[in-house]
Amino acid sequence: MSRSVLLSALLLGGIAATFGGPDALAQANGNGRALAPGVKVEVAPAPGSGPAPAAGKLDESALRYYARIGDGERLEAEIARLRALDPGWEPPKDLFAPQPAAAGVDESPFWTLLSAGKVAEARAAIAEQRRKSPAWQPSEKLLQELDLAESAGRIRSASDTKRWQDVVDAATANPEAVACNRLDNAWRLAEAYAELKQADRAFETYKTIVTTCPKAKERRDTLFKASRYLGPDRLRELAALGATANPATGEDYSTVRAAEAELETGRLLERLGNAKPGALSAADLSRVQGIIRDKQDADGAIALGWYFQKQKNYAEAQSWFSQANGWAPSDKAAEGLVLAYNGLGEKAQARAAAEPWKGKSSRIDQALKAVDPPRGPSGPGGGRSAPQGPSELDRALARHDFAGCIAIIRSSIERSGPTAVLLQQRGWCLLELKRPSEAEAAFVEAQALAAREPAPKPAKGGASATGKGSDRNPAASGLPQTPTPAQENAYGQAIARLTTGDVTGLTRDLPRANLTPTQKAEIRASLMATEAGRALEDKRYHDVLRLLDARRELEPEPRNLGILRGWALYNLMRYDEAYVQFKSIDDRLSTEDSREGVSTAWKTIYHDW
Amino acid sequence: MLVGTAALGLAAALPGRVGAAPFDGAAWRRYAERFLLPEGRIVDTGNKGISHSEGQGYGMLLAVAAGDRAAFDRLWGWTQRVLMVRGDGLVAWRWTPDGGVADRNNASDGDMLIAWALLRAAEVWQAEAYRTAAAAIVKALAAGLLVEHAGLAVLLPGRDGFRKGDTLVLNPSYWIFPAIRAFAALPGGERWGRLSDAGLVLLSKARFGGFELPPDWMALDAAGTVTVADGFKKQYGYDAVRVPLYLAWDGYRDPYYFRPYASLVAKFGGTAVPATVSLPGGTTTQVAASVGMLAVYRLACRLAGSAAADAMTVPPLAPDEDYYSTTLAHLSALAAQSLGIDP
Repeated sequence: MSRSVLLSALLLGGIAATFGGPDALAQANGNGRALAPGVKVEVAPAPGSGPAPAAGKLDESALRYYARIGDGERLEAEIARLRALDPGWEPPKDLFAPQPAAAGVDESPFWTLLSAGKVAEARAAIAEQRRKSPAWQPSEKLLQELDLAESAGRIRSASDTKRWQDVVDAATANPEAVACNRLDNAWRLAEAYAELKQADRAFETYKTIVTTCPKAKERRDTLFKASRYLGPDRLRELAALGATANPATGEDYSTVRAAEAELETGRLLERLGNAKPGALSAADLSRVQGIIRDKQDADGAIALGWYFQKQKNYAEAQSWFSQANGWAPSDKAAEGLVLAYNGLGEKAQARAAAEPWKGKSSRIDQALKAVDPPRGPSGPGGGRSAPQGPSELDRALARHDFAGCIAIIRSSIERSGPTAVLLQQRGWCLLELKRPSEAEAAFVEAQALAAREPAPKPAKGGASATGKGSDRNPAASGLPQTPTPAQENAYGQAIARLTTGDVTGLTRDLPRANLTPTQKAEIRASLMATEAGRALEDKRYHDVLRLLDARRELEPEPRNLGILRGWALYNLMRYDEAYVQFKSIDDRLSTEDSREGVSTAWKTIYHDW
Repeated sequence: MLVGTAALGLAAALPGRVGAAPFDGAAWRRYAERFLLPEGRIVDTGNKGISHSEGQGYGMLLAVAAGDRAAFDRLWGWTQRVLMVRGDGLVAWRWTPDGGVADRNNASDGDMLIAWALLRAAEVWQAEAYRTAAAAIVKALAAGLLVEHAGLAVLLPGRDGFRKGDTLVLNPSYWIFPAIRAFAALPGGERWGRLSDAGLVLLSKARFGGFELPPDWMALDAAGTVTVADGFKKQYGYDAVRVPLYLAWDGYRDPYYFRPYASLVAKFGGTAVPATVSLPGGTTTQVAASVGMLAVYRLACRLAGSAAADAMTVPPLAPDEDYYSTTLAHLSALAAQSLGIDP
């Protein structure tokens, strides 16, 4: 009875036998060992075993050499080869026993050089030996192994120097140099065919590997290699073959199919990454979504998120970034989430998503700037100072640390006295902290100080980079007038009053305030938006529409005010207009708000409750 | 009159004996008439009539082989008088009729050929003076040009200009194996034995292109990697064709070392074998191998066990066959005779 055991066990046993004698061998190995399918070696004398093989019938020098150096893989292959030459041949029983020096020329020095990779030295030694002993010829096996080693070397060097035809020629001259035990060379051959634009031959080479090389890992690695040159269809075909053809026992070929799936995902994700909006077919998109969900692949989900984000499909983007963050929380996922929420206008959500990473990830801090454009300290001209490395204050602002902002400014003032710029920034930070009264005071103080400071040089043209309340609409950009420090302070005061709810006083003072036209327009627009909200609460729907119409003269209507308009129309029972209003918003970006509007208006119109 | 038939590729079609002519007294007389000037220098007729240490060495070898001591002494005399002007025992390699010694650098193969010819002369004519002179040259070579690199004993092609950082530029055809063996047999000549060993190793490494031919010039880096040398024509050609000649002459019979040349011949069998092959690209020149080169190939094919040996014909030397081709033809005959085979 024979059991299949690892070859290493046999070799260990055999090597032990070399030192420990036949008994140790017998103990270690039992009766026989299956080396490879169909190859069984009888390594110890067994009762009733067959006659010893006829000596000298086959060249066993390589076999003995492999046994002596413990090269199991080659030993196995050599046994198979000799078996193929003579099916009646049995491996010698004394395979692992020390051998007396063979009569005539001893080949072992050449084998030793060869196995040390010193092929040229082996060649030289053989040539010298042949010169001394003209009647002697090296064994065929030795010559084959030398040829093989040299062919393999030629394939490597030709491939390294991109001489693709030479790779093919060398492999053709010695096909054994591209067999499974020299997988790297087989890959180089396939690559050479591919580079020579012989795609069919490249495919055939890969196919030979995945159908004949027994190891699952080799087949799997081959798929990855092939992916550089073959299209998806042929890769799928290779994967199917590699997962099923000529299976060896103990190998798990499911990894081959898994590799195909990985490649598929990789390919689609790569396309996602490069895709223009809508470039992926619905089928591809749905396939990649399925794969990513199945594998809970956070990186894949992030790639999908960006795909949708680029299409301004913020809701889908948000959902995939969320998914990614759920599977494996990361600042990369959070970054996407912050920006997707920002795209949706859900700034509070955006900040919440950023929260765990704030101040810890530059990625997130950068993303937060999109949510809340930082108000850096104004330069002497009231515009932004020239870019410098971020100061402590900048960093606090970027991470939305407004309490930190106040503390930093306080210590800075304690250290080197107040400046108008610092006081103004304090005002903005106080505003953020919902302390509008103190903010207003800070702006007044800043204004007083600015009046005593030297007149600023005119700053370069460009829109004011300061002064946007976080929930307010962006100011009209592109207007050339840059606010003076005084105007900046007045603007801050106005915003502070807006925040305290002093709408009436602000509306009254606005015409006389020292503000740039842009600032005035912005404050007025904000005032009207606030008034419109109040009017809606007061059910003064006509006033809502009037205020929003007036405001729209100053600035494009943002999404949240568009929704407000929709409800005003709805409540005025102008259902069709309300539906159109909600629908147009929902078409651009579908959110719960817009969907609710569309649905309510539609149901009202069609009595579909 | 036939002019340059070999160069035109017609030579192979000419009737005549299959192998190269044996080297004998008549062959030597014709050689001396054409290339040996009375003052004792060999003229390179294919090279504007210049003379060089290699030609002197070849001339001396052939003179010894032909038993012409007078000619030998004239050659050796001129060599000593005109070329051995360096003061280090080595030979200036190049002399022109117009300017005399045109390059004082030595060419190691020239030095080796001269020293080897002197050793053979010492044996043939039992003249100790030749041996003493040979030993001096061998000593000078060992001192200045026999170096260790990448674990190998190698011979620099000349005193100056063949080291490029960690890399040496070497010439495979400067491994004149029978000469090296003769040097190794001299007292204290063990290092020369290592040069032979290294030569076989390098010739196994220096196999480029589809035919696996050695380059005329190779580079050996510190790691022992051999490449086709930069700064020279990247080819197998007029220099490297001597590699199989010297191997055969020294009694090497391993077909492995002769197969590249047999492959080249087999590929162009029936038509003209090209004189040069670019490496590793394999582009061949329009110029056909000369009669002398074909004589070398026939020898190589026989040792490779290639059927091409019997299929190929070496045409007779043309009346105006040049110095190099004629010399190669005679050397091939000498090598074959030393092996006991028909040239």
